[in-house]
Order: sequence, then C-alpha cells, then structure tokens
Amino acid sequence: MWEGIVAGLTTALDPGNLAWVVAGCLAGTLIGMLPGLGPITAIALMIPVSYSLDPAAGLIMMAGVYYGAVFGGSTSSILINAPGVASTVATSFDGYPMARSGQAGRALALAAYASFAGGVVGAVALLLFASTLATLAKAFQSPEYTLILIFALSSIAAFADRGQVLRSLAAALVGLMLGTVGTDQSAGVQRFTFGRLDLTDGLSFVLIAMATFALAEAFRMVLAGDDDSPPTRFAHARLHPGDAKAVAPSVGRSSVLGFLVGVLPGAGATLASFFAYDMQRRFRRGDDADGARGIAAPESANNAACTGSFVPLLTLGIPGSGTTAVLLGVMLSYGVQPGPRLLEAEPAMFWGVIVSMFIGNAVLLALNLPLIPYISRLVYLRRRVLVPFVIVFSLLGVYLTSLNSFDVYLMLAFALAGLALRLGGFPLAPLLLGFILSGMLEENLRRTVLLADGSWTFLLDRPVALALAALCVLVWLAPLKRLLAVRSAPA
Amino acid sequence: MAAFAVAYLVQAWTIPLDPWSAEEVVNARTLPLGYGLGLLLVSLALLLKRNPIDASPGAHWPTLFLHCVAIAGFGMLIRFAGLWVATAALLLATLLIAGERRALVLLAAPVGTALTAWLLIAVVLDVYIHPGVWFS
Repeated sequence: MWEGIVAGLTTALDPGNLAWVVAGCLAGTLIGMLPGLGPITAIALMIPVSYSLDPAAGLIMMAGVYYGAVFGGSTSSILINAPGVASTVATSFDGYPMARSGQAGRALALAAYASFAGGVVGAVALLLFASTLATLAKAFQSPEYTLILIFALSSIAAFADRGQVLRSLAAALVGLMLGTVGTDQSAGVQRFTFGRLDLTDGLSFVLIAMATFALAEAFRMVLAGDDDSPPTRFAHARLHPGDAKAVAPSVGRSSVLGFLVGVLPGAGATLASFFAYDMQRRFRRGDDADGARGIAAPESANNAACTGSFVPLLTLGIPGSGTTAVLLGVMLSYGVQPGPRLLEAEPAMFWGVIVSMFIGNAVLLALNLPLIPYISRLVYLRRRVLVPFVIVFSLLGVYLTSLNSFDVYLMLAFALAGLALRLGGFPLAPLLLGFILSGMLEENLRRTVLLADGSWTFLLDRPVALALAALCVLVWLAPLKRLLAVRSAPA
Repeated sequence: MAAFAVAYLVQAWTIPLDPWSAEEVVNARTLPLGYGLGLLLVSLALLLKRNPIDASPGAHWPTLFLHCVAIAGFGMLIRFAGLWVATAALLLATLLIAGERRALVLLAAPVGTALTAWLLIAVVLDVYIHPGVWFS
C-alpha cells in the first residue's frame, strides 16, 4: 500500500496535476455556487475540458470539481437560501438565518472549515479502506456484480426522500431503459434505434448528463424568470473565537457518519447531511442557539460522503450516486475501467486520485477563505446572463464530443423531457445512475445466467452473492416498512 | 410516463431475435420488457397517488419556447456557418431572449466566447472543426 501511496503522491504533486486540482476546485466552486447548478452539472460542464487531459490529470481535476461544487453549493445556500443541490439544503437551515443576521462571513468560514475537516476525514478513511476493499473485490465475479448492481439500484428507492420512492424508482427505470438504446452487445441486434445510424452506438452519457442536468436546469430557470435577491456584502470569512472548539465534536461525528453513508450506494451526500444535521440536534439539543453546529455538521458530512462515494466507484467500478455515475462515464471514456483491477493496472492513478483529495481539500480551504467575499458575488448573477451561458456551454460540450448536429436536437428533446420530469417532482440523479448501470447490469446478468445454467442454486455456493441477495431483500423491505409505519401512524 | 412505458414496451416487443437467442433465458428483449413493465406498474401506482405537476401559472413558457427555437436554429446553423459562428449566434439570441439589452454584453459575450472556444479547441488542442458549408 505504501508504495502505492508514494506513487500517488508523486502523481498528485506533479506540477501539472496540482494546477488541475486548483483549476478543478475553483471551477467547481464557481459553478456550484450558481443557484441551481450542482456537482453533476459542474462535472458535466467540465467534461470537454477533461478530454484534453491525460486520464490521471483529468480524474484529479474532476475530483476537485466535485468537492469544489459541493462547497460552492453551500455558499448559495447560506447567502440566498437557494441550495444548488439537495446535499446543501440542510446547511441553509441554520446558515441562511446566520447570514441574514449579519454573520455571512462567519457562516461561510464555518462551512469552509467543516467541509475541509469532512473531506480530510473522508480521504483518510478512503486511503485506509480502498486497497483492502479492492483486494476483497478481486474475488467478485458476474453473480456478485449483478447483485451489487441490483443492490445499488434498489437502494435508490430505500434511501429516497419521503414521498419520493415511486418517483425515484420511475426515474431509475427510465435511465435503465435509455441505457438499452443502441446495438445489443451480445446478440448484435439494434434496439430502439429506429433505423438511425446516429443511435447505433447508444446514447452518450455526456448528452444525457448535460441534457437532464445543465440544459434542463437552464430551462427551469427560464420558466422561473429573473430574480432580484438583494446582495449580502461581507468583508472577510472568519470564525468567531471559540467556534472551532464548539463545533469540533460535531464535525468529527458528522465526518465519520458522512463517510459511512457516502459508501452506501444510492444514499450519498444528501442523506448524510440530513442525518448529520439531525444527529447534532439530538446530541446537543438547545445548545446551538446561533446555529454554528447546524452549519458545521451537514457541511462536514456532505464532504465526507462525497469522498465515501469514491469507495464503490474505485474499488468495484460501481457508482453509488449520480455524480459518481458521471465520473464513471469520464473514466470509461478514457479507457480506464474502475474496479478491483484498477489498483493493479493503474496504481499511480488510483492512489493519485485519493492523495489529490487531501490536496484538493487544502486548496479549497486556501482558495475559499480569502476569495469567498469576492467570488460569492457570482451568486447574485442575473439569470438573464447565466441561462444563455449554461445553454451555450452545455450544447458546446455535447457537440464537441460527437461533432454531430443530430446530438443537438437529441439533447433538446432530452432536456425538455428532463424539465417535464423535474416539474413532475422526479429526481434526476437516479435516472443518470440507471443509465450508467444499465449496460453493466445486462452484461453481468447474462454471464450469471450462463454460469448458473438457468438455475438460482448457485447462490448457495457463493456466500458473498448470498449475502448480497439478502441485502437486496432487506433494501426492498425498507420502503415497505416505511409505508406500513405511515399507514399505522395515528392521524 | 405510462404512455412512454407502453410505447417502449411495444418497441421492445419488436426487437428482432434469432432462433438461438429466442431460446435464451436472458436475451436482447428480456431486460427491456422487464424495465417497460416495471415502469408501467410504477406509473400506474403514481397515477393512483395523483401527484400534482409543479407548473406555476406565472411560468415563462413563451420564453422557453423561444430558447428551444434558438437551440434548434443552432443545430441547423452549425452545418452552414460552422460551430464558432453558430455559437456566437446562439449566445446572442439566448441573451436577447432572456432579456439582456446592454449593447456591450450583447457584443462582447458572443464574440468573446466564440473566440475563446475557437482558440482553445481549434488552435491549442488542434481539433479539426468543419468550418461550415458557407465558409469551406
């Protein structure tokens, strides 16, 4: 492991890669800060840039974009109560009132330090667990992969917000369906191509990600019209004396909790931030009048969860969230197959990405504290300027990956469909996850059925597969239990 | 959603299978049929729950329509004027549609963006982009 860490350190400290970490963090923070644009959009918008880099630099930059965007999202939550992503909603509960009471700089400093702590705790945990899990995962074959994929997809429903179980399932199914478009890899037959050559290779994940997140979000902003939030001015982002001591225990607990939740497929940063917010309220009820811990807990948890979500991606090659699904797409486009073999095949890249998380978090803190009073003005950028740029950059990104104008029309159609789903209250991250996992699921299921010769008794010979099957059943029962609990609750 | 599921199911049913594949437990049709059926069931359950659509009466639908027309125009213009001119035209059109009226922004943003993109993609990264029918 140590040789790997040294190799990773060499990769991450390469001046070119360091520059890309800084660029990724800055770009992620700026995009994530724009109201409505979250980490998935930030990563999707940066895909064209990543194509010009070598795989290690590209992935290191994308990791920087990811946690930069998560932090940027908390800035808009705190300053204008407009969380760009669900994972920063919990931050706005105490962050926005603190900003309104004239302490915007303090709230942002709390968020920055807590994000840094969460990110570092997550990176340490990832460093410790990644190689162990990758070694264990080498024993995994198609049956285990099939069941992990089913588990990941089932978790979408189990961890969905209240009242969102069916909508999350529907979105995941639509994603799975979109993943079947193109030439079937086993039989070589065309599916859902309607005789068009443009569709024989299937739909590009860049197109789906850009259409459903960047362009659909721009359309949603168009429908909502311009807004005139009065700017909150502040000179610097600093903690008050005693803040660090007061929030430290809460940050520690939330970081560990966040990492563990982040590792679970389908759970992710949103659930982690809400769990952490709830946990800190239960722990120190009535002892957080100014809301400092209410900001620190969800911020440390969501950053740790972001790092945790890299565990299944790097070690199993299975994304646990919409954001890591896009990252998987980026890796595949580089010809890099994440999973247990990545550690052996590309140790410098594997460890480089992990080590860069430490550097990225330090960069994020160093950049954000002095720059936040200035760059936070972006939060107040008028939609009449923001929307055209989002439209143009998302279309440019898609066109440049295919150089096919048919993709422009396809993107427009998917963005309108994405908008309709958003208006109907459907979450779109499960759609992206379903789309990315669709091909993997079909391929592994076919191999499993071939191996098993049509019988399911093979599960008894494979304890890991059996345990995973049991986990899937438990996950399916979770929403059912919730539903029954709601029904039996007194009105 | 239910209509989409039905249309998908109909298309899934027409996926051609050779005699060998037809005998397989999991063939090219199996999962699409499963997904389609799954979505149909979920959509019916959603219909029963009667979920309201969040379309506020004040929504700017005509503006959205104009943006869509501009994007479709961009797709057509790429072929004739090339990517860079089409990009500048799209940005100008969307800025105007969105309500931007400052002359400096309307001039500098499209020209600057198209020029920067051209420098980055075509000059620095040396990617060949077809100049369009009008300029080739």
